[in-house]
Amino acid sequence: MTTRLTINEKQITVDADPEMPLLWVLRDLLGLSGTKYGCGAGHCGACTVHLGAEAVRSCTLPLSAVGDRPVTTIEGIGDGETLHPVQQAWISEDVPQCGYCQSGQIMQAIVLLQQHPNPSEEAINRAMQGNLCRCGTYPRIKKAIQTAVKLNS
Amino acid sequence: MKRRHFFRVSSLAGGGLLLSTCIPFGCQTRPDPLQPDWEPNFFLRIRSDNRVTFICSRAEMGQGTSTGLSMIAADELGVPLEDLSIEFADGDAHRYGDLQDTGGSNGLRMLWDPLREAAATAREILREAAAQKWEISREQLIVENAQVTDPETGKSFAFGELVGLASTLSAPREIRLKDPSEYRYIGQPISGYKNQLIVRGQQDYSINIQLPDMLYAVIERCPYGEGTLQSFSADAARAVPGVVEVIEMTGSEINPSFDYKGGVRAGVAVLADNTWAAMQGKKALEISWEPGPNAERNDTDLIRELEKSREESRTPSFELQDGNSVFDRASSILEATYESPFQANACMEPLNAVAYHLGNRLEVWVGSQAPSLDREYLSEYTGLPQAAITVHNHPMGGGFGRRFFCDYVEEAVFLSEKVRRPVKVMWTREDTFTTSKYHPFRTEHWRAAMDQNGQPLALAYHGVVSRPSGYRPFPYGIPVAFYPFVPYQAGDLLPRASWRSVFAHPWGLSRESFLDEVAHRAGIDPVEFRLQLLDRAEPVIDQKSLPWVGDDLYVQRLRKTLELAVEHSGYGQPRTDGIFQGVSAICYNTTYCSQVADVSVSKEGAVTVHKVTAVIDCGLAVNPSQVKAQVEGSIIWGLSAVLKGPITVKNGLVQERNYDTYDLLRISETPDIEVYIVASDAAPTGTGEPAVPGVAPAVLNAIFAATGKRIRKIPVRREDLMA
Repeated sequence: MTTRLTINEKQITVDADPEMPLLWVLRDLLGLSGTKYGCGAGHCGACTVHLGAEAVRSCTLPLSAVGDRPVTTIEGIGDGETLHPVQQAWISEDVPQCGYCQSGQIMQAIVLLQQHPNPSEEAINRAMQGNLCRCGTYPRIKKAIQTAVKLNS
Repeated sequence: MKRRHFFRVSSLAGGGLLLSTCIPFGCQTRPDPLQPDWEPNFFLRIRSDNRVTFICSRAEMGQGTSTGLSMIAADELGVPLEDLSIEFADGDAHRYGDLQDTGGSNGLRMLWDPLREAAATAREILREAAAQKWEISREQLIVENAQVTDPETGKSFAFGELVGLASTLSAPREIRLKDPSEYRYIGQPISGYKNQLIVRGQQDYSINIQLPDMLYAVIERCPYGEGTLQSFSADAARAVPGVVEVIEMTGSEINPSFDYKGGVRAGVAVLADNTWAAMQGKKALEISWEPGPNAERNDTDLIRELEKSREESRTPSFELQDGNSVFDRASSILEATYESPFQANACMEPLNAVAYHLGNRLEVWVGSQAPSLDREYLSEYTGLPQAAITVHNHPMGGGFGRRFFCDYVEEAVFLSEKVRRPVKVMWTREDTFTTSKYHPFRTEHWRAAMDQNGQPLALAYHGVVSRPSGYRPFPYGIPVAFYPFVPYQAGDLLPRASWRSVFAHPWGLSRESFLDEVAHRAGIDPVEFRLQLLDRAEPVIDQKSLPWVGDDLYVQRLRKTLELAVEHSGYGQPRTDGIFQGVSAICYNTTYCSQVADVSVSKEGAVTVHKVTAVIDCGLAVNPSQVKAQVEGSIIWGLSAVLKGPITVKNGLVQERNYDTYDLLRISETPDIEVYIVASDAAPTGTGEPAVPGVAPAVLNAIFAATGKRIRKIPVRREDLMA
């Protein structure tokens, strides 16, 4: 079945089972491998993308549920060669270790900052609570979100 | 189904495949065929177009080794770090020996000398090449910024211009390594090259690989550790759109008596043209298993089995300061048994590997900690000579010891051999919890002989586990007797994997908890007690009997980390905020780390870890930002083990299936972490694991300080601490 999608501001048509989660459409069919498979059940946040202005878990979102809302992935948040301020903050605070969860962390943090341009520590904890990191980069994620606030202002 | 490949995939002559992901920095220009590359040694490649590549033999799984090593290579060779490309070496034991497979936090320690010597040698050959071109003495030339400059004339040759001549020269006899005052990168906190890729979603994990004609495989493995496949029906699975093949996986063992044994579990594989279809096919399989010897065993049975084994082993195998005979003079005995459960590595990137078996040769793409060992095992598994096997190694989304075991690679090879197409084996998250390899369940028994005044005379340690045996270095000056390890009596309940810090974790947990118990019994402050014991120890402890450790242990370096941890944490100062402190001091290989945990316990038994102060002596900190990152991550790892998890087994089956039931520490639960690095000009040691084993005992000792309750089993449960 053919589905029309808007991904990173491009119109794309995919031919896939409407039950296929958006994650696998992105990764296997479109080659957008920046979005990661972590748990397949919405428990870890590695697959987080933006659906409109929302951060969603693409591993549990069937293709049929995307509708006409635009999808943004980690590949689509920068402006050409210019990185998004959250990406810049992640580099300057030396956040990533293995890096596998970081696409999801960054996508989650961007939505947090859209909703709370200057978030309290409590707001950071609440927003980032569902994004697991086995390497233990949480202290630096907190710092980098605060750095991104400064870069945004 | 219509496919769109955003990857550029090209085929090379000879059946080899090259996958190039288009990345902003990595889009390499093609080398000039008339100007061959110069590879002065197996760490470096310098091209006539002036590109310099560091070939990283060690695996990158987030511990930052590739960044630290590239800083060393850049400094010693004289190239800007941002101009140094990094490439991961294919698995090759003949070439790299023990400088490749990655475990034990040994990467920087083992490569510090050979890499500097290799880079310095290349630098001196380039200097000589420039000197010959100018017909002057090489001593006066300066090598930096990837060029050789004559300061008198101001003229320079770029490295690329010297490659042709350099490749004909032999190395000077004496090579001078740079003085630390000449370092531009070593010692600096540098945000690594990999961060540039990671924040763009472009890190080159093996899970991202797509090859032409590739099938995606998902496997239903036997859920019983020692079970087998009885029968299965694949009809429903074959009916799932996208499913191409269903193949029985034959269980196998390679090198079964070795700790890092190979071989795959029995199971049924579903191969499809995308991952999701393969997962749907797996769900549709109907399988009967023969459970084997573990059908009625639980993890709780192991405690009884292990204690029984311990009682049967009555003769010490090793003692320090006549530990055994001193022990016999005891007026009273203090004893305690500590319990460490099964744990999962739970790497964020589920296990996966791509293989292409072409009949007479084999190519594999994988994120592996042990690409050399993989190649050796794949040779045994397939019957192909190692020379016909290429193992391309990729950066990993976490390894922590699990990716030292190559079952997931062998599965891909098994399937590709059957279908003669490239196959990517993809583990579901549930697979990584229910049918994987695990940190073993283990008990540790400690005894202290106390004299008539209630002071300790000697200690005795008795650990029990399947394998491997061995204890970690003992830095304290008190007689001690070690008893030999004995195996699980009824065989392994779950297969073993390494897990960040491996057996140093239960060893550190029990040792540092028990020292606390002895100190309290003797009425001595736990820090004071440790300082006294460290002062009574031999100043240098020989560790040469443990080949992977190698270097001597310097007890005063451990003491220094403990003193500093006390100072920075404010340990022992009176406070009224309901927060109590616990301490630990650990040496892991030749890294030293002491920690103080600040903990409160509510009336309902809820434990809050407010802060952890850690002091590490890892020799020269090549990249202090990464040293601190590793200590932070190790502490969070350790806290997950104390407060979350574990893996449990009922009737032979692992009960935890995903992150909802095997929970990890989350951002809101992460305490303030302060890391201090002891300034040192000693050779760098390792930082990936040494801060793990001290976390649990520091927290458990703080819980005792807060409640008077001694917890000897992790994770800590609320019901154990209710007022």
